[in-house]
Amino acid sequence: MSKLTYRDAVGKALEDSMREEPRLIVIGQNIAAHALKSLADRYGVERVRDTSISESAMVGMAVGAAMKGLKVVVMIAYADIASVCHMAIVQSAAKLHYLSNGRLNCPVIIRLPIARFRGHGPEGNEVGVSWFYNVPDLNIAMPGSAGEAYWNFREALERPTPTLFFEDRSLHGRSGEVADQNHGCGAQITRSGDKLTIIAAGRAAGLAEDVADEIEKEGKRPAVEVVSLGFIKPLDKETIFRSASNTGRVLIVQDEPTWSGYAPFVRCLLDELSPGTLRCAPRILAGADQFLPFWDERPFLPSIQSIGTAVREFLK
Amino acid sequence: MISIPEVSNQHETLEWRLYRNMLVTRLFEDALVRWEQEGKISAQTFPSKGQEAIAIGCCAALEHGDTVIPSFRTRGAMIGMGVSVAEQLREFLHSPLAAGDSRDAPHHSSWPDRGVMPGSTMIGGHLSLAAGLALAMQLDKQNAVSVAFFGDGTLGSGDLYETMHIAGAWRLPLILVCENNGWEMATAFSQVRRTRALTPYAEPFGLATRSIDGNDALDVYHSARWARATARDGQPVFLDCLTFRLGLYSSHSGEVRGAGIENELAEWETRDPLKRMADWLIRNGIGRNEDLARIEQEEEAKIEAAFNTVKGEG
Repeated sequence: MSKLTYRDAVGKALEDSMREEPRLIVIGQNIAAHALKSLADRYGVERVRDTSISESAMVGMAVGAAMKGLKVVVMIAYADIASVCHMAIVQSAAKLHYLSNGRLNCPVIIRLPIARFRGHGPEGNEVGVSWFYNVPDLNIAMPGSAGEAYWNFREALERPTPTLFFEDRSLHGRSGEVADQNHGCGAQITRSGDKLTIIAAGRAAGLAEDVADEIEKEGKRPAVEVVSLGFIKPLDKETIFRSASNTGRVLIVQDEPTWSGYAPFVRCLLDELSPGTLRCAPRILAGADQFLPFWDERPFLPSIQSIGTAVREFLK
Repeated sequence: MISIPEVSNQHETLEWRLYRNMLVTRLFEDALVRWEQEGKISAQTFPSKGQEAIAIGCCAALEHGDTVIPSFRTRGAMIGMGVSVAEQLREFLHSPLAAGDSRDAPHHSSWPDRGVMPGSTMIGGHLSLAAGLALAMQLDKQNAVSVAFFGDGTLGSGDLYETMHIAGAWRLPLILVCENNGWEMATAFSQVRRTRALTPYAEPFGLATRSIDGNDALDVYHSARWARATARDGQPVFLDCLTFRLGLYSSHSGEVRGAGIENELAEWETRDPLKRMADWLIRNGIGRNEDLARIEQEEEAKIEAAFNTVKGEG
């Protein structure tokens, strides 16, 4: 167990993977001389490769290299750019294992940093996770803590199918414990409570934890349980059901609009619980159904205040 | 130094191999269209009739460890890499022995252990996959090359330029083979492109280029040997293979090139690569008409037998 920032946890996951896997390479823009300079110095520019601004080909090449048994981390500058390489992600990366009848694996990570609150404007402040949620065989990680950041990354490279790794840059400075053991794709109960379960991923999970701490201080006892999903696909249904059954109340928080994504999906899954398991209808708190202006994105996204208000209504 | 591939039997000199593989491709695709019309198979076929020399000539120039990604009209690459008619038919008929479990469309079927890799139905989408294979070969110091086949319609795809951009800079052992037949389904190239010749598109990216007669299997073979040596030594290659589609766009769509195509077809019939290879064998005293007729009968019978065998596997 060690304490790291979210940013350092991702960095350590990449470095540990490069050390252990001689046939792991990283491709991206401005990495060898800038973002990953220390890795390039240690492992060479053959393995830490600067590419042109060619995201579609970058993902395609990662898939081709995977056909020969390489593991590849593709560094996309920020999550919105997933739209540029959507074809390569969905058609080439996600389908390789299936259409080759399992004869070829695709242990490829596509890093998609969420770059909100940095003034990028509506073409640079999206999450875009939901664009991909309906693609079979495409793993999606949305780590909400340093521990998840480290182990989601390590787990992704062990999988036969590719992973979209949505790391949230607004969490980069947040510190947390990194466990010594991989917990696979499982969700983590990061706060324990007995009155309400908040299910969330990424930044939303961090906000939920902060609210849970606040409520505990107010009430002098832990009322709110937080299930941090980590991987939103595959989804750890068992942990969700166990927590929901224990508390009887569920709030799902999603950091983007709610037409698609894990929030409506989990909401539907909860219908599988036996009647009476939940004391009241589950609720979704999500981003507004609109693009986010550069001057201030926060009013349109879940916040400690809006989650806190929803939680207090549940606990009334 | 160009080495001539091994001779497996008395007929399998390079020239005989080129002829036989083109013949098998032609007969097999003819049979696929016929079987579909007869209701024996359901998958549509995109016949490579008239273009067989490109895949067959290229694959004959490859060596162990090299890989190919066929386009949707490059069945010859499967034949040329040694995947038997029966193995291919298993994918069409969903035989329990189908290596790919009939998941991918039969024109994209793959046999990774034989060097035939899965492609993409997205036009141009497979080119970066081929570049990725080439990158792995380069990193592994494998002394192998990666080949991608595509039609000239792919010149409109951004993925081609992204791939050439990176492959040129990284000096990848990649060979891009364009089956330049001048038509994008029902649209003549002149409606969507300024020039028929494609080498000017590739040169600025640092690719070595060569324009070749795509209907001359020997020209294709020798150009592909040059391309292999060039790519392996650090310069990716673009082969612009001039050809013409003598067959249907596909078994579903039929002939779509509209009125006036007859004259062009008649002219290109005289340059049919299979007929040219047969003439070459006869002219050089290597084959006789009766040898060629007998081989054709044998291969026809083998294809029918393969169908019955594979049908029986289900």
